[in-house]
Amino acid sequence: MILTILEIILVVVLIGAALLAVWYRDLVAAVIASSVVSLMLSIIFYILQAPDVALTEAAIGVGLTTIIFMIAIRKTKRFEE
Amino acid sequence: METVLNIIGYTLTSVGVVFLFFGALGILRMPDVYNRMQAGTKATTLGAFGTILGVGFINPEWFFKTAIIAAFILISNPISSHALARGSHKIGIKLWQKKDIDHYARAEATLQEQEGDGE
Amino acid sequence: MRKVFAMLFLAIIGFYLFNTFALIPFGKNKMNADVAASYLNSGVQKTGAVNIVTSIVVNYRGFDTLGEVTVLFLAATGMGALLFRKKPMQRSRQNASVIVKTGARILFPLIIILGVYVFVHGHLTPGGGFQGGAIIASGFLLMFMSYRTYKVNHKVLSLFETFAGTSFVLLGLFGLIWGTSFLANILPFGEANTLFSAGIIPLIYIAVGIKVGSELTAVLDTMLKTVK
Repeated sequence: MILTILEIILVVVLIGAALLAVWYRDLVAAVIASSVVSLMLSIIFYILQAPDVALTEAAIGVGLTTIIFMIAIRKTKRFEE
Repeated sequence: METVLNIIGYTLTSVGVVFLFFGALGILRMPDVYNRMQAGTKATTLGAFGTILGVGFINPEWFFKTAIIAAFILISNPISSHALARGSHKIGIKLWQKKDIDHYARAEATLQEQEGDGE
Repeated sequence: MRKVFAMLFLAIIGFYLFNTFALIPFGKNKMNADVAASYLNSGVQKTGAVNIVTSIVVNYRGFDTLGEVTVLFLAATGMGALLFRKKPMQRSRQNASVIVKTGARILFPLIIILGVYVFVHGHLTPGGGFQGGAIIASGFLLMFMSYRTYKVNHKVLSLFETFAGTSFVLLGLFGLIWGTSFLANILPFGEANTLFSAGIIPLIYIAVGIKVGSELTAVLDTMLKTVK
């Protein structure tokens, strides 16, 4: 029961963060929102008993992808027209 | 022996949970970036430390691993928040309006005077 | 007009995706149960790896893993070709503070050890080559961010990468020579649940881990060097 409620909360936060990632004009904020999506996804994978995938998502989705996007934003433009 | 360890573990975990709650409350209630960051780091570090070590006491065979994780959090959490706070100070995020002492800016100024401009 | 078409397209895709997944309850297994059951029941005897995910990724679907590693290699190579700069620029204008530098120096070996642990124990615990490689790359990233002048030698990186990729393919070819098929498990399995078990699976995962780690480090270094 508690696990179901937790799953629902996580999925709602995930969808909200994904919408925010599309909606933000500030690309740094959008990247942070997409890293929140990855974090929620990783916790959901862990709850669904897929620790391998959760580890991958946490290391690559939350860590490296965010950093690579950040570097790319710093080298180009921060705001979307 | 086991009950003693259990009592220690549950006490530590509850203390940790209380501190985590205070950390979350501080993030919601504090007025500016630096205060929020301080609440979100100090309280959460202690909270996570207590929770993880408490789990280690409840399951003694995990104690070594939990101790390593706790030490990692104890090192990495303050460092990352320090870097974040320094970065936000550098790009010029203002302090709370009711606060008029900026120790960091003063320290930076004296440091630059002492060192000159070279590094 | 284009927007109408785009919305129509999205609606069609959404309809079919919904139809595909509507019958599967969230988190429950409704797929073809025979395949999963046979993997779960006979995986440990057939491959020697306790972690079933690893035995599928490296042994049953080992060829796919080779393809994935190749894709990552191509991505790193393309990035290097696209962003190559004869005279690398300085990484950042600001110097990191003493606290960050000292902390990075303490944490860097720990992170590398964690990454190596993750890919060496890939057949026993959750984790494996990709995860371990990503952790190692993030350790290097910590050093890049805290030390302005920290350099990695690209020759050494490409040497590591070549070694790892070649050993992956060679292990597969050994299986073809002495075993039945490409990537066949030719080494003795040993006792399950110990470090030296599961035949060639740990060797392949070590190769994948080194390869992924050096590739991602090279990608990060290339990106950080090219200042506008």
